[in-house]
Amino acid sequence: MGYGRYITIRLLNALLVLALVTLLVSVLFTKVAEEDIRSSIQEQINLKLRSNPELQRQLAADPAKLQEWYQREYNRLIHVYELDKPFWVRVIQRTKDTLTLNFGNTKSPIFGETAVGKIISKAIPRTVILFTTAQIFVILIGLLLGVKAAQIAGSILDKGVSIVAMVTSSIPMWWFGMMMILIFSFKMGLFPSGGMTSMPPKEGFAYYLDVLYHMILPVSTIVFVLFGGWAWTTRNIMIGTMQEDFIMAARAKGVPERKVIYGHALRASAPPIVTMTIFSLLGSIGGAIITESVFNWPGMGRLYWTALQQNETRLLMGVTFVTVALYLIAMIIADLAYGYLDPRVKVGASQST
Amino acid sequence: MRWVDLKASIKDFWFEFRRQKGGLFGLALLFLLIFTALGAPYLTEPDIPTKWSQYWEGNPTTVPPVWYNYFTTKKLAPHEILTSNDLRITSPGEDIGGGMKYYGFEFTYENNYDFPPSDIIIRNIGVKLTDLNSPAQIVITLVRPDGIKIELLNTELREGSVYQLAKDGKVRNAVFQWASQFENPQKIAQAGETLKSTMDTTKVIFGKAQEGILTNPEALKGTYIFQVDIFTFREGDQIDLSTTETILSGRTYGFMGTDYKARDLWSGLVWGTRVSLTVGVTVAVLTVLIGIFYGVTSAYLGGWKDEFMQRVNEFWASIPTLPILILLGAAFKGHVSLWTIVFLMVAFYWTGIAKVARSMALQIKEQTYVEAAIALGAGTGRIIFKHIMPQIMPYAFAAMALNVPGAVLTEASLSFLGLGDPTAVTWGQILYDAQTQSATINGYWWWVIPPGLAITLVAFTFVLLGISLDRVLNPRLKRL
Repeated sequence: MGYGRYITIRLLNALLVLALVTLLVSVLFTKVAEEDIRSSIQEQINLKLRSNPELQRQLAADPAKLQEWYQREYNRLIHVYELDKPFWVRVIQRTKDTLTLNFGNTKSPIFGETAVGKIISKAIPRTVILFTTAQIFVILIGLLLGVKAAQIAGSILDKGVSIVAMVTSSIPMWWFGMMMILIFSFKMGLFPSGGMTSMPPKEGFAYYLDVLYHMILPVSTIVFVLFGGWAWTTRNIMIGTMQEDFIMAARAKGVPERKVIYGHALRASAPPIVTMTIFSLLGSIGGAIITESVFNWPGMGRLYWTALQQNETRLLMGVTFVTVALYLIAMIIADLAYGYLDPRVKVGASQST
Repeated sequence: MRWVDLKASIKDFWFEFRRQKGGLFGLALLFLLIFTALGAPYLTEPDIPTKWSQYWEGNPTTVPPVWYNYFTTKKLAPHEILTSNDLRITSPGEDIGGGMKYYGFEFTYENNYDFPPSDIIIRNIGVKLTDLNSPAQIVITLVRPDGIKIELLNTELREGSVYQLAKDGKVRNAVFQWASQFENPQKIAQAGETLKSTMDTTKVIFGKAQEGILTNPEALKGTYIFQVDIFTFREGDQIDLSTTETILSGRTYGFMGTDYKARDLWSGLVWGTRVSLTVGVTVAVLTVLIGIFYGVTSAYLGGWKDEFMQRVNEFWASIPTLPILILLGAAFKGHVSLWTIVFLMVAFYWTGIAKVARSMALQIKEQTYVEAAIALGAGTGRIIFKHIMPQIMPYAFAAMALNVPGAVLTEASLSFLGLGDPTAVTWGQILYDAQTQSATINGYWWWVIPPGLAITLVAFTFVLLGISLDRVLNPRLKRL
């Protein structure tokens, strides 16, 4: 099967997932939104009546007229909010809107914007900065430690890596973030407890230093919780590779040990390690998102938190859609990378077994 | 499988497992957790879940645990409740003429702390009035260790009256009046009103009578006697002191302190074990059973059915779990039950197991004994359940244990986002409250550290168990 077709199938699968997830989500939220809108309609009518004493006086005299006015107003608003259309039409409409990135507006401004699309496009770069920085550290530390541990398997370092991996994989990342704030921000006063910049933000070069300073705590939280698992996975894959015949052959022909490890073994372990990277990255997105909200980092995590706290259903839908889309893209990249690094793996290869 | 075989295989298993130090440690932790979960009603109180979501009247809010005193030089008063047994009745209703009666009681408080109780609450005085327009009168007087007597309060007593001395404006006036004689008169003249509104009433009450008592009171240690005098004015008015309670609101409370709703965090921690264990284990067991069933069926059926089932699996697996769970949680917001959460997690987690189970089943299917069974005319169900499943079971047990941590962490994460079951006592929810009340920035460590440690402990227990089980039950996968 050609590489082109492989990519096409992957893409189609991802698009289908995205469309179906959006549809499912739209069904749920059209229902939730309907309740929201109905109660907001009541409020709007009451407000209109209260802010207009003239009208109040007129209607107070005649209850039948009040009833009629109320009904007319209600029907008008129902029409404005399109609640008079059938449920499925609204669901399809919402799905279409979401798929074309028309997320609508929030009730109150977030990051100074009300358009959900704009809010999200402001948040994504911030999350990416934080997350990528942390991930680079995790990968570097994890790889080095893992390779080292595999090299001297059974040593104290190796056992240490296993224990650290077991413990850190049990820690909720966001809780660890809270602990970091408690220790380094509250107790020691070394770092800011949250946010991306000082208030008000600094100018010029000092701004970037300030952002870096604010990144230290969240980044070290993510790194601490993830590096152990990384090192452990690398170690396991490496140990598997090191037992292969070609390593023995390399050693036998007198290749220096350094070169055996980094040139032969690590090269051969690359495909599973790369996929593991991307998958573990995807797996940690959830935890990292919540961690972000603990540190009040104004990225996607904070949007989740705000959307949940303030009942911003449109924002929540937008954020979820974008997260799912990013997740699917990353998954395709993982698949492609694996297919590229290890040509034996292609879609449908399992059929031949 | 016969009983003897089962016994033998369990014996074999135990023989191997015994040598796994981590596994034994995990097992010990598991027993501890189960013990805590089962013993929750006895370790704390049985009605915790019903009253958890309310404000706990009478308890101090956000105070550290009592043992915090071992680590500080300034001692903080613990929470104390004095019942009628601790009260000394000085007059059980003496007739003083004109239909008036006099009741009196007193209680003593030994203040050995640098930070005295934050409040003194007197409540549940049984009052029966014949005429509601003529309430009884209550006078509360304090005799301090230095011999000074202060009349704290002189007010009406009605049915259901509660006296919160630190929050009472009259007490504040009286105490301020008394304390200002020790302060510099100029300062009082200048900033009297601010001093009055900012002073900590109980700190002044329990403070050394010297200059600075209003701004920076120093605790006077010793025995304090609170005298309470009650006068009734009508014939037939009755006072019953048997239910009277005096609460000395602590600056510390219990094993684990309290949160912003004055809830005892120790109870929350103990009861949280139940939810965490139940959700974790149920999700893991169901996930693995469904995954294995799906994988084995797919492998056994083969052909286009296998292909179809694998496509469905892949499709399902490519849905990111947490964002969707968050969304579903938000859609059901406010009326999610624990079982909904369990169901949702199972619905998303079975895919990985199904993949592994399928590849294992594909290998087993080619074995000759399966072919023999097919040749003998065994049915699909018999082959799957009798011949393939038992081979996969060892993997299943290890997978179950290894799946618990993920489920525990996800449940905690959802609760932390405020999407959990609002009626359940969960650790994630305690941390959610801590987060919304900015516990970290305010340094409420006793509110943040224990629940997170508990979550970590449960997850760690099952990681240990899972890895050891994996080593014992799947020796082929043993690395090194």
